Amino acid sequence: MDAQRLKENFARVAEHGDAVALFFYSDLFLRNPHLRDMFPIGMTGQRDKLLGALGHIVSNVDDLGELVPFLQGLGRDHRKFGIIAEHYPHVGASLVATLRHYSGASWTPELEADWIAAYDVVSHVMLEAADQDAMAAPAWWNGEVVAVERRRFDIALLRVRPDQPLPYQPGQSVAVELPQRLRQWRYLSMANAPRPDHTLDFHVRLVDGGAVSAVLVRSVQPGDRMRMGAPVGTLVLDESSQRDVLMVAGSTGLAPLKAILEQLSRRQDPPRTTLFFGARTRDALYDLPHLTELAARCPWLTVVPAVSDEPNGHGFAASFGSPFGGPAGVGGEGAPGGQGAQGAPGGQGAQGAPGWFGPSGPPASGDAASGHAAFGDTLGSAAAPSGGPRIEHGTLAEVVGRYGSWHGHDVYVCGPDAMVESTADRLLRDGVPRDRIRLESFAQR
Amino acid sequence: MNPAHPPLAQGGPRLTPGEVQAAVFQRAALGRRGLDEDQVREFLQRVEQELVQLLNERAALGQEVDRLRAAPAEAGAGDAARPDDAHFQAVRILSQAQQTADLYVADAERYTRELAQEARQHRDAILTDAQSRADRMMEEAHQRAAAMADQAARSVAPAAEPPAQPASAPDLEETRADGLAPLDADERRRMEREIAYLRTYSDVYRTHLRAYLEALLRNVDEWERSEKENPEKRP
Repeated sequence: MDAQRLKENFARVAEHGDAVALFFYSDLFLRNPHLRDMFPIGMTGQRDKLLGALGHIVSNVDDLGELVPFLQGLGRDHRKFGIIAEHYPHVGASLVATLRHYSGASWTPELEADWIAAYDVVSHVMLEAADQDAMAAPAWWNGEVVAVERRRFDIALLRVRPDQPLPYQPGQSVAVELPQRLRQWRYLSMANAPRPDHTLDFHVRLVDGGAVSAVLVRSVQPGDRMRMGAPVGTLVLDESSQRDVLMVAGSTGLAPLKAILEQLSRRQDPPRTTLFFGARTRDALYDLPHLTELAARCPWLTVVPAVSDEPNGHGFAASFGSPFGGPAGVGGEGAPGGQGAQGAPGGQGAQGAPGWFGPSGPPASGDAASGHAAFGDTLGSAAAPSGGPRIEHGTLAEVVGRYGSWHGHDVYVCGPDAMVESTADRLLRDGVPRDRIRLESFAQR
Repeated sequence: MNPAHPPLAQGGPRLTPGEVQAAVFQRAALGRRGLDEDQVREFLQRVEQELVQLLNERAALGQEVDRLRAAPAEAGAGDAARPDDAHFQAVRILSQAQQTADLYVADAERYTRELAQEARQHRDAILTDAQSRADRMMEEAHQRAAAMADQAARSVAPAAEPPAQPASAPDLEETRADGLAPLDADERRRMEREIAYLRTYSDVYRTHLRAYLEALLRNVDEWERSEKENPEKRP
């Protein structure tokens, strides 16, 4: 097998871009119509993934140390889609047909033999990993939603019971598929450490125009079912470390960190831990009451909430938190806006048992506690909200940076892309070693 | 010429193998030996013609075969008659269908996204508006209460103080230094002031709160009504 020849040929074929993947799937489905059902209606994302994976495989075709683990992961990952051994030759045939088609005159019998040999190796490694995985775990887990708590118009917490134990490390996530949105898988992080009853909590945020998140946040109900793939992710606790811990969570990026926090709390002697929990606006700090309560119970834990899109107001109204939605502020997405008023139409429609995700705490709360306290402050110029920690203002990177030096800490960061990137940058600049920062980000789509 | 095939009952001008086999020549006229020469010559002529025609036809057929053999190679990939080409055609059609589907999906997604963003902006605007109303209402309550408190302080001051002293702020400052009795008066003024403030503040606040809650209730009614009018099925 001539690796260089394969790379050159693929580079030439890949110049045709999306058309290559389009041809591949059309060819595959024409020869094997029964495979079409395994894919979503819209194939744009699918084609990108195919080209990405192919590119990665071809560019590492002579570096087995890199390639083999990638292929093994790919093989295991494809089990949840229902891909089995007999599908592999079909894919190989269509792949070769596609490469031949786009190679034109430069296609030679030697090249064809090379591609066939390469595909044999690839499918062999993938299948072997899948088979090995099959001995230990099912291809997927069926889950039933046992509780839903809508914390805000765009944030919901789900509790799901899998049909059989789903072992995972706190901080990991699973791909989830809903019957309402077949063939569309989305990764969700478990927000709890493993429990004796094996239930899993997920924090879901509605993405505008997102096909799956809309269903998860707005219409999923107890009793609904979902399918879950094997747990993945490297944002897990460094068990060997005795260092103090810094956690930085943006919005629902809190979920995996909360799982790790729970894991820490089970230790005999938990490390000193500081958790920064940030959002654009105060009412988007959807889990703050629970975190505050947790910090009150755990002397080793400090929780610092932060908002980025609200002015650090000391105005008269700043003290009147709750009933009218907190201090006059500018809302998210760059548009003028305030925050969700509790109980206002379109606000949080509490569903299911209120407050069951938190141990006690005020049910469906937001910052109701501080709001009511502020009611007594008639003169209202002192803006210190009672009943909760002081809320910092600024982006998480800024706030974390303001709190001084973190180089003795293990750092865990999760949240939207930009937030994770800026926070990691800040910490690196402040001298935290790269290998002590574990992070995970989710795209905003 | 070897008539291997059974004779064909075929008339027409062309010579058949059967005719050759069945050819009968009369004996030559008396005085001559053998067959009738004329008949034989005539027959041979027909055989020759037939041979020439067959050879010509054969050559034409050979050319035709060559031409047909060559034709597909010349036509190449563009010829829809070959099975491979049918496949490519199908791939092309399926690809187009897929692209159309992708376009529809993308359009639908964009539409939902825009709708959601619009709704979010709407929500933010409503909340901002409510927020600023609330702020104004608080400010108003505060201002009116403060004014009321000042007034209360002024009306109390002349009664508590020696009548000669008018109730203006610098004078109040002076009286504070006077000892116990003015202190009591100070205390009293402060209390009066506070009470007046609180009373007015709570009045204004209550009025606004009532208006706000009523508006909220109207909203809820409207909401309920519109939901009844447009019963939407849950997904």
